[in-house]
Amino acid sequence: MSVPDYMQCAEDHQTLLVVVQPVGVVSEENFFRIYKRICSVSQISVRDSQRVLYIRYRHHYPPENNEWGDFQTHRKVVGLVTITDCCSAKDWPQTFEKFHMQKEIYGSTLYDSRLFVFGLQGEIAEQPRTDVAFYPSYEACPGVEKRIEDFIESLFIVLESKRLDRATDKSGDKVPLLCVPFEKKDFVGLDTDSRHYKKRCQGRMRKHVGDLCLQAGMLQDSLVHYHMAVELLRAVNDFLWLGGPAALEGLCSASVIYHYPGGTGGKNGARRCQGGSLPAEATNRHRPGAQEVLIDPGALTTNGINPDTSAEIGRAKNCLSPEDIIEKYKEAISYYGKYKNAGVIELEACVKAVRVLAIQKRSMEASEFLQNAVYINLRQLSEEEKIQRYSVLSELYELIGFRRKSAFFKRVAAMQCVAPSIAEPGWRACYKLLLETLPGYSLSLDPQDFSKGTHRGWAAVQMRLLHELVYASRRMGNPALSVRHLSFLLQTMLDFLSDQEKKDVTQSLESYTSKCPGTMELITLPDGLSLPPVPLTKLPIVRHVKLLNLPASLRPQKMKSLLGQNVSAKSPFIYSPIIAHSRGEERSKKIDFQWVQGDVCEVQLMVYNPMPFELRVENMGLLTSGVEFESLPAALSLPAESGLYPVTLVGVPQTTGTISVNGYHTTVFGVFSDCLLDNLPGIKNNGSTVEVIPALPRLQISTSLPRSAHSLQPASGDEVSTHVSVQLFNGETQQLVIKLENIGVEPLEKLEVTSKVLTSKEKLYGDFLSWKLEEALAQFPLQPGQVATLTVNIQVKLDFSCQENLLQDLSDDGISVSGFPLCSPFRQVVRPRVESKASNPPEGSKPGDPSHTKVLEAILNFKYSGGPGHVEGYYRDLSLGLRVEVEPSVFFTRVSTLPATSTRQCHLLLDVFNSTEHELSLSARGNEELILHAGECQRMAIQVDKFNFESFPESPGEKGQFASPKQLEEQRQEARGLEINSKLGIRWRIPSLKRTGEASVEGVLNQLALEHLQLAPLQWDVLVDGQPCDCEAAACQVGDPMRLEVRLTNRSPRSVGPFALTVVPFQDHQNGVHNYDLHSAVSFVGSSTFYLDAVQPAGQSACLGALLFLYTGDFFLHVRVHEDSTSKELPPSWFCLPSVHVRALEGQA
Amino acid sequence: MAVCVAVIAKENYPLYIRSVPTENELKFHYMVHTSLDVVDEKISAMGKALVDQRELYLGLLYPTEDYKKRYGYVTNSKVKFVMVVDSSNTALRDNEIRSMFRKLHNSYTDVMCNPFYNPGDRIQSSRAFDSMVTSMMIQVC
Repeated sequence: MSVPDYMQCAEDHQTLLVVVQPVGVVSEENFFRIYKRICSVSQISVRDSQRVLYIRYRHHYPPENNEWGDFQTHRKVVGLVTITDCCSAKDWPQTFEKFHMQKEIYGSTLYDSRLFVFGLQGEIAEQPRTDVAFYPSYEACPGVEKRIEDFIESLFIVLESKRLDRATDKSGDKVPLLCVPFEKKDFVGLDTDSRHYKKRCQGRMRKHVGDLCLQAGMLQDSLVHYHMAVELLRAVNDFLWLGGPAALEGLCSASVIYHYPGGTGGKNGARRCQGGSLPAEATNRHRPGAQEVLIDPGALTTNGINPDTSAEIGRAKNCLSPEDIIEKYKEAISYYGKYKNAGVIELEACVKAVRVLAIQKRSMEASEFLQNAVYINLRQLSEEEKIQRYSVLSELYELIGFRRKSAFFKRVAAMQCVAPSIAEPGWRACYKLLLETLPGYSLSLDPQDFSKGTHRGWAAVQMRLLHELVYASRRMGNPALSVRHLSFLLQTMLDFLSDQEKKDVTQSLESYTSKCPGTMELITLPDGLSLPPVPLTKLPIVRHVKLLNLPASLRPQKMKSLLGQNVSAKSPFIYSPIIAHSRGEERSKKIDFQWVQGDVCEVQLMVYNPMPFELRVENMGLLTSGVEFESLPAALSLPAESGLYPVTLVGVPQTTGTISVNGYHTTVFGVFSDCLLDNLPGIKNNGSTVEVIPALPRLQISTSLPRSAHSLQPASGDEVSTHVSVQLFNGETQQLVIKLENIGVEPLEKLEVTSKVLTSKEKLYGDFLSWKLEEALAQFPLQPGQVATLTVNIQVKLDFSCQENLLQDLSDDGISVSGFPLCSPFRQVVRPRVESKASNPPEGSKPGDPSHTKVLEAILNFKYSGGPGHVEGYYRDLSLGLRVEVEPSVFFTRVSTLPATSTRQCHLLLDVFNSTEHELSLSARGNEELILHAGECQRMAIQVDKFNFESFPESPGEKGQFASPKQLEEQRQEARGLEINSKLGIRWRIPSLKRTGEASVEGVLNQLALEHLQLAPLQWDVLVDGQPCDCEAAACQVGDPMRLEVRLTNRSPRSVGPFALTVVPFQDHQNGVHNYDLHSAVSFVGSSTFYLDAVQPAGQSACLGALLFLYTGDFFLHVRVHEDSTSKELPPSWFCLPSVHVRALEGQA
Repeated sequence: MAVCVAVIAKENYPLYIRSVPTENELKFHYMVHTSLDVVDEKISAMGKALVDQRELYLGLLYPTEDYKKRYGYVTNSKVKFVMVVDSSNTALRDNEIRSMFRKLHNSYTDVMCNPFYNPGDRIQSSRAFDSMVTSMMIQVC
């Protein structure tokens, strides 16, 4: 007895062992087909009794085990079924001979045997024989089961007869001694007549009868026999079996069978149930009421054949309780342990006990039994047996829930498969066993399980296992498998690998992939296990994914539709919190910019390399869905343990729609990985869905001006692609030629140009930028590659005067023009007031700056569209930054007016300052040129006609609608400035540089000067002797009365008056002294004071008086106006009456 | 004396493991790993007992194993301590093992009290814990 049967369980004790064997040449397939059919007959209810017979079939059984048949009858081969192939009648005798030889092997124990012959037809087959059955073929053998049943019944008859024979054979004559093979020589020469020997014989026989009873389905009887046997054998200290254990074990088996009718050997359970004795749910369940049932006589089925089952032995007592079973097993095993040769029996007993304990859920005790089994030393085992032994141990540990132990032994078994002593290592078996250990190490081969949270399980042992899997799969000759395992190892155990291990693993991975590149396909093993693909998401680790907008110049903009874009059509409400919520969610996924079909789009990843060496990532590209996308893969090389490293992946969308970036693909160490963003832990992602709109043209602009290194102020908010700069003198005009080239593939159909001035702290006069778009548009649509030109005039007119500190008060009344708050509605939009205030202090400190250069910045916006994108209502916006450095040319430091002799004219006095470094000539309209040297200041007087501002047309109506009175006033002033400027037409020229420009007085004109320049609405005319007296001195004769008429024409829109006019004569001594004391020299005819009543608008009124000069001389008459208090608000300039110069001459008479 | 000391997290992965013959560390990994089966079994058996009356010391896990004995200890937070003891040293009594475990537990508690220690991380940089384990390994030898 050397070959342990690890599959044994307690129930096997009640079975009859039948060996089914092929004879001659029978194909394995055919044999097992028949074998399976035979096996299905495993349970037979013997007719005329309720006993059930269980059969155990084996297709292989070592004859030496058979020799233990007396020890435990279930080890005895009682039936033999031979299957053979016989084609012709010629072969028949030979075949039959073989059958007999086969029978010889088990001959000592066989009760009966059968031969199944397949393929033979004819007269031989016709012969009715009990021990031979003929079937035409393996397919057509309907009677196999029936035959087997018959066969088993015949076995039963023999068994029953033996049982009865042995049971009743207690006459006391000569009970033969049953013994196991190794005992035989011990009993040689022993006194067979001694009482001791007899008892031993009796005990052993008793036990044998118990076995037979059990096999024959008489559970109760067997229990009784076992009990008796135990008592008998104990008395004679027959430890091996006489001494109890065999009997004890039998007792245990019988009890187990009673307690656990479902069976203990898991696999067989179903088969037993099939017999229909118990519902499935009753299996594996302890029956606590078993003992009570026993006492119930109605439930008993014993037929009283055996007189020894004496009624005085309580039946309930016979059956062991579950706890006792274990106790008895322990005892039995300890007895077995005394015999070296009974190792197999002991081992099997252990296995059986474990199975029972597993059902009782007493894992701890079961583990002790197993532990014991591990240390049972059998003879030198073959490698195959070792593997079997370890596998069974593993299974048993599994059974009691010790999955780690189970995995450990399975792994040992796997290692045994490829032990160096084996000539042909079974790598396949090893790999298969290793795979089975995975759950024990809580390892799954799906990388998804490891992607979330912390690592699970014992990394050190898991890593070891993975290494072994890699090695086994490689030796199996499946490189794809080993690549998969290795990449899994790298992916999941990266945190636990040391630097050296990382290097080793990656090196071997590279060497494997050189033969078989790692793919993203599911690998399915022949046994159904599938290995999901392992994307190497940690090589490199991606921390941040960001979809990038197109560069500003290529960004598509949506044309404003009639409805506002933001107004949702779904709701009639302008605002609803519910909608806002859902929109917010939507937005979290979708990014609010667009990509354009056909344009290169970018996604930025922040990656880092966790490896201690340089990591080469090849073929890194984007994985997208929704839109046909041409990904342009990148290759990168990350330095060892790099920090976050930005990587930009690019691609071109080929169609329109909604594109979502799902992940990226890489090739690292020859392994292709598709890494989906959803599966990456700890990734920062601000949405991955973008709309792709139809293709748009692309415009490139180039200008005649040099490019500027300066960029515009960052606060501008617009992103400007190109900057140009130019330096101009104040007042100068320059042309800017812009070339527009279509560098895209779509025709450019629409173009709009707008400009925006950024620096608005300066007061800017006139049009800064002006252009004629029509010329450029004439060349449209612009096909790809074509060029159009656009000319833009740049004109700068700035006010430099207020920079100078020396210009404290420009005007007579000291009002500083620059202090006047100037704000046009347009500027208010561009620059908030706060900013303009903040920029004031630096402006104040600016005079220290020698250059005095001012900078004007503007943006030219080109909105263009075309192609399919235009149809969809998109356009692009290209900006050209323009920076103009304005140097001061000439400016007016001071302006004042002097009344001219005529009230309709006045003199404008301008202090002109040349702030350039060049000589400069200045010319006003019609006047001679004034040469100014660098830094020189001169006064320039221009006689101008007074202006009748009232007659100017009001500024455009729509502006006036929403402008405040203040702004209106300002506009009016601007208009006046323009008017005055154009009237004056002051131009400067720098001969050395050949540059010319305009000099503007707008900035320095103040309220007072303006008033002086304005033609007063009240026109006063003084007539002397009916002649209007303007500048010439009127002549009169001494003694003659001189008629004086003061005429008032009201041009103002309201009535004025009443006024009082007093004529005051005086003499100018030309030395600053005015002599008003002329009562003796001049006398009035009539009153010297006139009263004027109210003058209606457009009305006229006149006062008449006369003067009499008594002496000759030059006299001046000053007409003073006394107003009534009611009309004080009239400005004094309205009352500037000319002084009348009268020269009194000697009378001729 | 103790040849291997291991601290195992509630989720059954090692927080700390150190063995004396460092060259064959994996063997101890397997040893401790498989003994978790018994620890689990004992814990589930104890689960029925009242929590506060529970004995933390699990006793001998494997009675017979070549020349090593393994003892287990489980804290109330299901953190397990496993100690492999060379059974050639027969002088070691149950009480001594118990006190060693108690020391280990105290030291582990100190580690947990460290505000810079992240529960669930491997115990790597605690010098006090390290030296305590070292002292247990050489104590009697």
